[in-house]
Amino acid sequence: MKLRQSMTTLHTWGGLLPSWLLFVVIFTGTLACFDKELEHWMRPALHGSSGPASASAQQISDWLADNVSAPLHAYWIHPPTERTPFWQLGWEEDGSGQRGRAVFDPVTGAALPETLGGDFFFTLHYNLHAGQIGMYIVGLAGVFMLAALVSGVIIHRRIFKDFFTLRPRAQGQRAWLDAHNLFGVVGLPFHLVLAYTGVAIFVAAYMPAGGMVAYNSDPLAFYHEVQGGYHRNELDRPAGTPVPLDQLVTAAQQQWQSTDTGWIIVEHPADASSVVSIRRRDPSRIGSPQDTLSYDAFTGELLHQQQTPPAYRGYIWMVGLHMAQFGGSLIRLLYGVLGLAGCMMLVAGNTVWLRKRAARQTPGLHLVQALNTAVFFGLPVASLVLLWANRLIPAELEHRASIEAWSFVLTWLAVTLATLVSSRQPLARARALLGVMAALALGLPLVNFLTAPHSHLLVTFGTAPELALVDLTLLISGVLLAVAMARYRPRQPVPAARKTECGESEVTV
Amino acid sequence: MAAQHWRRLAASPLAELISRGLAALVAGYLLAFGATAFLSVYLPLPRPDRVVVASLLCFAVWVGAAVYSFAARRPLRVWVVLVTLAGVFCLAAWLPTDWRMRP
Repeated sequence: MKLRQSMTTLHTWGGLLPSWLLFVVIFTGTLACFDKELEHWMRPALHGSSGPASASAQQISDWLADNVSAPLHAYWIHPPTERTPFWQLGWEEDGSGQRGRAVFDPVTGAALPETLGGDFFFTLHYNLHAGQIGMYIVGLAGVFMLAALVSGVIIHRRIFKDFFTLRPRAQGQRAWLDAHNLFGVVGLPFHLVLAYTGVAIFVAAYMPAGGMVAYNSDPLAFYHEVQGGYHRNELDRPAGTPVPLDQLVTAAQQQWQSTDTGWIIVEHPADASSVVSIRRRDPSRIGSPQDTLSYDAFTGELLHQQQTPPAYRGYIWMVGLHMAQFGGSLIRLLYGVLGLAGCMMLVAGNTVWLRKRAARQTPGLHLVQALNTAVFFGLPVASLVLLWANRLIPAELEHRASIEAWSFVLTWLAVTLATLVSSRQPLARARALLGVMAALALGLPLVNFLTAPHSHLLVTFGTAPELALVDLTLLISGVLLAVAMARYRPRQPVPAARKTECGESEVTV
Repeated sequence: MAAQHWRRLAASPLAELISRGLAALVAGYLLAFGATAFLSVYLPLPRPDRVVVASLLCFAVWVGAAVYSFAARRPLRVWVVLVTLAGVFCLAAWLPTDWRMRP
């Protein structure tokens, strides 16, 4: 077998098998570029209020003491920033390892109604909300993506010339292949870098060989030396009176000569060994600064300033390149567009696979077709429904975030079931679902207008561009999806009356 | 008869595809593991830098092994080559007990 031929085998199967999982990872990763904007959008209680940001870290810490009775392993607080104008709190309970999350108004310090927020997409992106196992599954998908990209380049004989070739009026398979090449080549450097830096983030879990051989499998020694961090084991003695957190924050800011504070982490707060670590934030750099300061929680004594070895700073730079928290909204927009190109590359690639085999009636054709519809359409539809749920579920309802999650899961399940039972042609199915997506996207700004008096476009346009852009993006996507639906019609003429019926019956599913 | 049947199945394109795919996944990971351990010991750098650089390179080794798994002429040889290399790397990394953990 020639090299190009053998690489075609690798590309075809190594690309098809993980493609649906990769679509979930890339689509949610694209949304996660804007997780903070979505988080802000999904919290209407924050919109329209203004006043001096007077809440303090100690106030957040006090809320935790009053509202969570279980002993804590650690908790972490983040002060408001330009993109996240609210206090964030997370905690982990001792023993059970159960985690919690809350967000607070920067003016009053009051806890806000719960929502999944933009964080939902971020977590779905890196572990599918399935903890450790999910993290390994996503990592494996990332390696498949790397292999598919490399083999794709080897196959591609005329990578430069084909880049300028698009034959939308050509036979179906040819046009889809051109589209696959276009999106694949435009995004290639981005996709290679993002796939590599993506799997690199959890490299210590995926590839433990280095720690095993050079640190004799001692994870504490490994992390301590590699990260240059600080850790103090529990003394199992009751805690004293803690120094107010804000005093430590001020001390840290004086030490750095900078006021930009990141996460404030308090480890085992109920034990005499408690340590407060304060991280510096610097969004002007790709890799976040690694000069965390660790204080004794009771004396306020500076115990340690993080000193990282050069290779770890290189690793942090790769992580930063993946996370896109640097360089402002232009960078995130670029990441978003190239992420969408990645999604389109997958959709077009799978369509090429199908078209090639449609004539031969290869076994598995229907399965691939059904998975394509269930994932490529199900996930975006479910994501839109999640945003609808965010606006429609009353703010004071208990378990609000769980209801949002159920709306997402049940919608996706409904699309999948509808795909399995529908006897309709895949093309008609795709058209109907494009219509559903268009209706959901175009309807959201309207729902926003009806339910959130301080959040809709008429108010935010001009005053709060970061919120208005979410609505505008939805409107533009809705229009584009509607246009796509209108243009994406089956070749053989279908009676007009049946077509509208198709669209409506799918909406009610 | 049965032996012949199995031989024909083993020589079928599907069996070859599955063998190459598994080699890319399993033997490829083993090679990446061996290479990471080897470089974590033999790179001329301080220990934390050795380990981080070696670990960050592991995915390139894995993808290289995957490409080789499909490019190699004979599917069974892929297993032999990848597993042997991985074993040699691991032995070379673990045998010098004190030296491999030098600071």
